[in-house]
Amino acid sequence: MSTPNAVGMDIFTICLIVPVLVYALVKQLWNLPLQNGPGYFMGVEVPAGFYDGSGKSWMAGFHAMVAALYGVCGAGLAAIVATRRWEMTPTWAGGFALVFVPAMFGFHAWTRHKLSVDPPVRPVALALTTRRYSDYISWPMEALAVALVGLSWWLLLHGGRHFDWRSALLMSWVALGVIPGKMAMVRMSWPLPAERAEEHFRLQEVSRRFWMRLSGIIFEWYMLVILLGVAVLHGLLPVHPAAVWRWLVVGSGFAVWGYGMIVMFGGMRQMKAMGGDLRPAGSWKTPFGRASCFGTGRAFLVWFAIWFGGILAFNLYPLCKAWL
Amino acid sequence: MFLTLQDNDKRPIYQQITDGIKDLIARGELREGMTLPSVRQVAGDLGVNLNTVAVAYRQLQDEGFVTVRHGTGAVISSRSPHPMEQAELYKPLRTALTQLVLSGLTGREIVETVREQLAQLQQKGSTR
Repeated sequence: MSTPNAVGMDIFTICLIVPVLVYALVKQLWNLPLQNGPGYFMGVEVPAGFYDGSGKSWMAGFHAMVAALYGVCGAGLAAIVATRRWEMTPTWAGGFALVFVPAMFGFHAWTRHKLSVDPPVRPVALALTTRRYSDYISWPMEALAVALVGLSWWLLLHGGRHFDWRSALLMSWVALGVIPGKMAMVRMSWPLPAERAEEHFRLQEVSRRFWMRLSGIIFEWYMLVILLGVAVLHGLLPVHPAAVWRWLVVGSGFAVWGYGMIVMFGGMRQMKAMGGDLRPAGSWKTPFGRASCFGTGRAFLVWFAIWFGGILAFNLYPLCKAWL
Repeated sequence: MFLTLQDNDKRPIYQQITDGIKDLIARGELREGMTLPSVRQVAGDLGVNLNTVAVAYRQLQDEGFVTVRHGTGAVISSRSPHPMEQAELYKPLRTALTQLVLSGLTGREIVETVREQLAQLQQKGSTR
């Protein structure tokens, strides 16, 4: 049995990411503006006949943006394959996320700025249900995650061999950074319309738990499994361990990633089924506030800026260093 | 359990919250010992200032409807808060009746309205 080396790991990563990107494009992304039905565009209420008129150019604009993003991603991947510079895979994957997320946020913000000038004011419902961290977060599991990161670093530092500390630091940052993110998600919410308040509340609960679970699997446990696996290979096993150990690490990572993908697409289907005919957040405003579609938790935005900014810095640092 | 805040309500937000919670207590939907969400959570959920909710909670506390305990938040204390002077108790009723008279309703219509509202309140309370 051959051993997966660094190149093999990079190719393996590409094989994990590409099907997800294609599936997301076909199943979720291409018709994203229509996710709330023909009465809305990207969650913004539009007049009847919108898609026979100016809606066509809005849809075309969205499709052009998505095609451009995927085109850049495809070109980057083609360049890696052609030049066989597999070590650029993390930069390619991270770079795509760093371009994609702001582009989507930007398009959403632009849509709201142009199409949702004065959303209708509607009565608002307040759920008198207390949200406690412990109702959503398993503290023993989070403690275990912190302990595993600590153990990984102990193994790496006491292994007596050179290791890629930057990758380990990035993985630790991504994994541990999710914990305050989950806390911010518990506090995050958006106003519930009084009409069908119960259904809106249930959808909000399901989506809150879904995003927390998904970020826990993909960003926390996937990273932890890889970090711990690398640390065990580095600190406990001989310089050239049996292939089965390396495959065990790769297999564990693949299992967590695969589970995350099942949770992601299943959850998105569930939320679409629950909220397909509900008034989307941000398409209306409360009697005393602005229309909010990203939730009212400032803590979440602060956390996301710090966490995502950190990942950005980790990814840009080697590029800047190479450039200078 | 939901509290609805209307778009055409002229009362300040804190008053709407206070009155809404009192209404739920009167109907028996909020019972003694139940915990209200934190000020921060309510402010976040409604998208209003923290102080607005804090004022509402303080008013409920002053009137004896909730007890604010450190660590557990605001807890519904009782459906019968500390006794008020009879004149004090009737003041809001007097204001409401004045409004109804000024809006042109006859005495019979007002009595009928009050009876209906009271029946609704008691019916909702007894179903819990």
